[in-house]
Amino acid sequence: MSDTGKPMTEQDLHAYADGQLPADDMARVETWLASHPDDVARIREWQQQNRTIQAIFAPYRTNRPGDEDLLKTQPAPETAAPHRWRLRGLQTAAAVALFGLGIAVGHYLPASLAPAIEARAALGDEASSAFLIYASEVRHPVEVRADEKDHLVKWLSKRLGQKLAAPDLSARGFSLVGGRLVPVNGRAGALLMYEDAAGKRLTMLVGQSAADAVTSFRFAAQGPVETFYWIDEKLSYAVTGEIPRDVLRGVAEDSYQQFQSL
Amino acid sequence: MALLPDLRRYARSLSASDADGEDLLQDGVERLLSARSGWSGANFRAWAMTTMTNLYRNGTRRQRRFASTELDEASALPDPSPAGDPLERARLQRALDRLSPEFRATLMLVVVEGHSYAEVAAITQAPLGTVMSLLSRARAEVARHLAEDNIVPLRRSE
Repeated sequence: MSDTGKPMTEQDLHAYADGQLPADDMARVETWLASHPDDVARIREWQQQNRTIQAIFAPYRTNRPGDEDLLKTQPAPETAAPHRWRLRGLQTAAAVALFGLGIAVGHYLPASLAPAIEARAALGDEASSAFLIYASEVRHPVEVRADEKDHLVKWLSKRLGQKLAAPDLSARGFSLVGGRLVPVNGRAGALLMYEDAAGKRLTMLVGQSAADAVTSFRFAAQGPVETFYWIDEKLSYAVTGEIPRDVLRGVAEDSYQQFQSL
Repeated sequence: MALLPDLRRYARSLSASDADGEDLLQDGVERLLSARSGWSGANFRAWAMTTMTNLYRNGTRRQRRFASTELDEASALPDPSPAGDPLERARLQRALDRLSPEFRATLMLVVVEGHSYAEVAAITQAPLGTVMSLLSRARAEVARHLAEDNIVPLRRSE
């Protein structure tokens, strides 16, 4: 139980995190950790990361259609004849070991997550395109103007099938110009436009998200046009503007809070 | 003992995409089935893992298709958000994709395949001390990449 003997090493911490620390070292490491919260935090982080990595790749531990063919794609043998017989035997054994006896039918690889992730990245692109197209529009930036706000919100909510609001961004110096219906990811979405006293505009794009998810704020930039976007269950949101990043982020946070309390 | 699913998972854990994972798996299986002298007839799993690992390391096959398709960098912002989040996973995956093959193979053999450090040393044909050092540096690299990434943690109302 004493602290004497071996000094604490980085490797001990990894071994502890991975559950691979020899029993003999346990007491020594735990004594150390009791007085080193930083190392405890690092260990927690690694363990959390381990779980996430395991979760990412676990679904791939499965059979797939076509696996039988995988085992048939044997290149032509290169060795001389005398050895072939023995090697065949080993190859067959290898094939059996690889493939096992029964193939779990209906236990195939799940659909890839990749499209969902790409869809999210696309949200940033769509948001900046929408901004570029509409924010520069002087005469017809919106279909329904802010003086008909109630109508605007009701209309857009109906088209999206979700309760929507136009966040109040006056604390950030932005007031609502109005909104329009736009396609987002092939479905009905809402574009709200705001403007500050100097006429600087920002847009808020609200789309229907493909899958229920809750994400962190994500940031994307296309040149000077920057976007914060996030997904909150049924809807995805993107706030885009050519304004200082911290202002844009403040707008995103305010909007997030206000949408959340709907 | 059906090893193919394990190999598929391992191959995918070394790859940046589903397609790359399947490619690696196919090459690996081909190699396993045609290897003339590799397998002694014992410990097939370890041998298969070694074969896959070598293929992955030496091949440096079609390198990183997805290398830099990502969003522009933002100011470095720390992120302590939870792991169930799909974007969080995507972000971690991107950090993994930036690891060198040595780092990634070691990390995955430990974390995903659940091998002991000694088994990893046997599979990667490296001394135990090297495995430990690779593991530790791999995690440091991941942390560095994550810190460079551009997530801002979401603030739920208090």
